[in-house]
Amino acid sequence: MNPLIFTGIAVGFAFGFALQRGRFCMNSAFRDIILMKDYTLLKAVGVAILVAMIGFAIMDKTGVITVNPVPFFWGALMVGGFVFGIGMVLAGGCASGITYRLGEGMIGAMMAVLGLTLFGLMSSKGVFHPAIATLRNATTVTLADGSAPTLANLAGVPFWLMALIISGVALVVWGVVTKKKAEQAETGEKTSVYQNIFKKGWGWKSAGIVIGAINIIAFYSSALAGRMYPLGICGGYWTTTDSLITGVNQMNWLSVMLLSTILGAFVAAKIAGEFKFRAPPPKTLVQTFFGGAIMGFGAAMAGGCNITHVLSGVPQLAVSSILGGAFLIFGCWFMAWILFIRPMRNLD
Amino acid sequence: MTDEIKVDKTLDVKGEICPNPDVRTLTTLEKMEKGQILEVLLDYPLSVERIPRNVENRKHKVLKVEKIDGTDHRILIEAKANRE
Repeated sequence: MNPLIFTGIAVGFAFGFALQRGRFCMNSAFRDIILMKDYTLLKAVGVAILVAMIGFAIMDKTGVITVNPVPFFWGALMVGGFVFGIGMVLAGGCASGITYRLGEGMIGAMMAVLGLTLFGLMSSKGVFHPAIATLRNATTVTLADGSAPTLANLAGVPFWLMALIISGVALVVWGVVTKKKAEQAETGEKTSVYQNIFKKGWGWKSAGIVIGAINIIAFYSSALAGRMYPLGICGGYWTTTDSLITGVNQMNWLSVMLLSTILGAFVAAKIAGEFKFRAPPPKTLVQTFFGGAIMGFGAAMAGGCNITHVLSGVPQLAVSSILGGAFLIFGCWFMAWILFIRPMRNLD
Repeated sequence: MTDEIKVDKTLDVKGEICPNPDVRTLTTLEKMEKGQILEVLLDYPLSVERIPRNVENRKHKVLKVEKIDGTDHRILIEAKANRE
């Protein structure tokens, strides 16, 4: 075991703290677009991706890291992503959402994590694994040199250059759009820096910047420990549980980081006075358990959850993560439509 | 709790998972008469921030968001206040 995996403790703690303060959940981010026409969390996700992309570009150029896209097994990415999207609506949170709410003491999130862990292990190495491996092998596409496709290597330019071009264009477009809308003046009472950081929920801009920056440090810290990938979630639950059950130590940077994430979210919630054990009705607990189980199956199939793909894979310009992420959003919208939008329409 | 505002209906969504507090608040408001007051009791931090934002978009009026104790919050909303 590489002792540098323990650098993940600091990264995880900061990540959990930021997730809780920023209410950073992609299930809410993607679902609220169609359910509430609310773009707040989506903007936080966008900023986090953009910040990470610029950081990864600089680290790639200086040789600190090497981008490491998830293989392009398109069939497994589409099915797994869609299934994961369905699961997270039932679970009431994405992988990062249920993790920080676990730290807040929400029993619904605990049930979801339990389902995600059990079914994730069954899918990543248990009974469901052969079927998943077959689908992956049948649909894997690599470039001529055997590498996984990214927007950079497809265009034949270095990663850092493509990443800077894309983030530059995104920043210009964003600048134009926000200028048109004329920033709304901040209203409300004056609050101290302490209150803004520890007591009130963070705004989308702060949440996005902080989480993007944590992912940059995460990539460096993880690479030091021999794991060439930025933030993830699901794998951490699986390796931890697997180590505990089999007695064979499989703890890596991600496992240590994840355990510290839960602690960071707990501390953030505790300071803000937002920690309390609280549970929804039993029926909802069953729903979140199976939602988590579906997420675990989907993540094992797609090679990662929303953090691995959307937060960490998209800024690496991985085609796999862009496809997986898109299908994750479709799955989320599909289930949100069945569960919330259709019943709300029937009201009129 | 003493309050000068008369509450017509109370919705207790404490313990509920995302986004049930929001959805149930919106559907309940739709079923109410214009001008009636809904009291929402909740303990989910994201919804405490998100509900005021989204009910105003649907032309209801948020009268009060108050912290009762720890995670517990109380939101008072006037149904359809800003509708024709």
